[in-house]
Amino acid sequence: MSNDVATTKEVKIAKADRKVRRRNHNFSNGDRATIATFVGVPTLIHIFMVWIPAICTVLLSFTFWDGIGGLKNIKWVGFTNYRQIVQLDADFGPAIRNNLYWLAVFALIATPLGILLAYYIDKNLKGTKFYQTSFYMPLVISLAVTGIIWDYVFNSDGLINSLLGNNTNDSAIDFWGDPHKNIWVVLFIASWRHIGYIMLLYLAGMKSVDPSLREAAAIDGATEWSTFRKVVVPSLRPVNVIIIVVTIIESLRAFDLVYIINRGTNGLQLLGVLVYDNILGSSMRIGWGAAYATLLFILCIGPIIVYLYQNFSRDE
Amino acid sequence: MSDMINEEGVSRRSVLKGAAAGAAVVAAGGLLGATAGSTAANAANVTASFGSNNSNPPGPKEDAAWVAAAAAAGIDVKLNVVDHNTFQNQINTYLQGTPDDVFDWFAGYRMQFFAKKGLLTPATAVWAKINADFAPGFKAASTGLDGKQYLVPTDWYPWALHYRKSVWKAAGVNPASIKTFADLVAACKVFKAKGYIPMAMADKGGWEAMGTFDIINMRTNGYQFHVDLMAGRAKWTDPRVQKTFANWKTLIPFQNKSPLNETDQTAGTMVLQKKAAMIMMGSFTSGLYTNKADYNDLALIPFPSINPAYGTDSIDAPIDGVLMSNAAAKNLPAAEALMEFIASTTFSDTITAIAPGLFANKHAKVSADPFIQSQVKLVNATKHVAQFLDRDTRPDFAYPIVSAAIQKFLTGGDAVAIAKNLQAQWDALPPA
Repeated sequence: MSNDVATTKEVKIAKADRKVRRRNHNFSNGDRATIATFVGVPTLIHIFMVWIPAICTVLLSFTFWDGIGGLKNIKWVGFTNYRQIVQLDADFGPAIRNNLYWLAVFALIATPLGILLAYYIDKNLKGTKFYQTSFYMPLVISLAVTGIIWDYVFNSDGLINSLLGNNTNDSAIDFWGDPHKNIWVVLFIASWRHIGYIMLLYLAGMKSVDPSLREAAAIDGATEWSTFRKVVVPSLRPVNVIIIVVTIIESLRAFDLVYIINRGTNGLQLLGVLVYDNILGSSMRIGWGAAYATLLFILCIGPIIVYLYQNFSRDE
Repeated sequence: MSDMINEEGVSRRSVLKGAAAGAAVVAAGGLLGATAGSTAANAANVTASFGSNNSNPPGPKEDAAWVAAAAAAGIDVKLNVVDHNTFQNQINTYLQGTPDDVFDWFAGYRMQFFAKKGLLTPATAVWAKINADFAPGFKAASTGLDGKQYLVPTDWYPWALHYRKSVWKAAGVNPASIKTFADLVAACKVFKAKGYIPMAMADKGGWEAMGTFDIINMRTNGYQFHVDLMAGRAKWTDPRVQKTFANWKTLIPFQNKSPLNETDQTAGTMVLQKKAAMIMMGSFTSGLYTNKADYNDLALIPFPSINPAYGTDSIDAPIDGVLMSNAAAKNLPAAEALMEFIASTTFSDTITAIAPGLFANKHAKVSADPFIQSQVKLVNATKHVAQFLDRDTRPDFAYPIVSAAIQKFLTGGDAVAIAKNLQAQWDALPPA
């Protein structure tokens, strides 16, 4: 189509269009300053507080540095830190394994349970408020208190061992100290917290689902399961994205709970703990810590990118 | 559960004086900086700044008392108190930033490390004056790899087998009869038969069992091998390390079942509550004995001889003290005067008046308390004083490498594989 055949009307529209655009760009200096401030300052903060440290971390993961003596003491060593971590660090395997356990338990058990609870609580059963509060309670309690509560339950002279009649040191089940058991105890506690979190998020989302959709499905003879699967879940897509991202991030950045239990040693190693222990504390092996941080970053961002990409391409 | 006293937390000052570091490692915020004003300045006084990690009670009381005493002695002290754990975690940044002239720290490798990095000012001139007041062991522990003294030691505590006299009496075991490793094993059998846990063992924090490794290694292979091993001159793959682990293995059946679930506090409580017969622990375990009758029942014996060639000639007895930072070079006369003051009995006697302990100065007043006296006797009978595993080796090797290895050993790990991995990890450490 050439300009020759363009109708007057089309030309007019184009002109008007250009006019509108020009008007939009016609900011006063004050406006420009405001926009620059409102966009520029957060961008600068973001770059300085997030991206520059992140890039520096990745760079430091290729170096030896003990944090002493400034930049000139940083020694470039290529992939040595990564190689050493994989080959030598006895904590690497357990940490990766535990982070994956964490992810699996959250994704397959805790998150679905949270959604299920949200679904039932949304039905306004008798005592809904009570259940809602009870399930959310674990998130309100500080981690230190959480630790003490469950210590009473799982300790060698705690509730479970007492109920089982294991009263002597020799017969008691060693929930905290046995590296094959303690991770499951911790995952139980973490799930106990996570379920309430997911429940609250999903509940908030479900309140926004138009009840007439469900009624219509019920009239059409849909079972409860298929109503949930085909009506409720699809209409909550934005919430689903949040829940999946939250589940991945919560399980990979896990740190605090194991740190208050035993500083993340002996069966409770996690990548987050290894980052911390190598960079802070007495070690100052910054290259290793940075390498762990980089691995953790890749692990976190990888699945999220894949999920978001798939989700948005489906939308289109 | 939340006892996360890390190696720094073992400082006698913080633990013995009843201040569990608790969850402060996670919670520790920024510097709890508090610059206490120096006392009314005498015009002729010199002024030096002091970085104190003595933040837990009765630390502030002690600090205030000795700062006043220093002012009377002609040194105005600008005191900068930092939360104990924060101080340890930020020591690298602290020493590279604007450190105080003099600051609290530890003897051994953890001092030598900073000396080697050029972050300290030598205190050789101070030592020339105070030499006569300290036993040679303290001087050695205050000396860097370059042969210069850096530390002025203040106080210390020994590691030994701690027990309750009444428990041993009831079981019919005479503490004086424990001369050899075989005697110890025999005693353990008696205790076990009587229903006690013979030896309380803790390693939840990753540091508690290091004291047991240290003592068995020194008894089996001697002080020099231990020091060489810690410094990397001897190899972990050396068969002698396996002998140490083998000896320890003999004791494992006599330990409580889940040491990795116990802290120094909980394991110490087993002894206090007469469930366990003894514990290999620093004398700060006495902090648990708040009841006077219990405290009077507490006693210690040295870990018995294993290899007659070495007898009981070495112990772990970590020494705390003070160092001069690089900043002191610009204020040397005042900083040295302050170091000298801290080495004096005026300093130690001021502290003793508030909380009795063991001081490095040999002329310091010693409490007549029998338990304190037994500690003095123990260290006086000892030829070599080691610091403690985490103070005698590279900080990045002690944690999390050795701590994890010992935990693995205590949960039934293969000692040969553990030692092999330790050596491989040592070899992979960045050059110090």
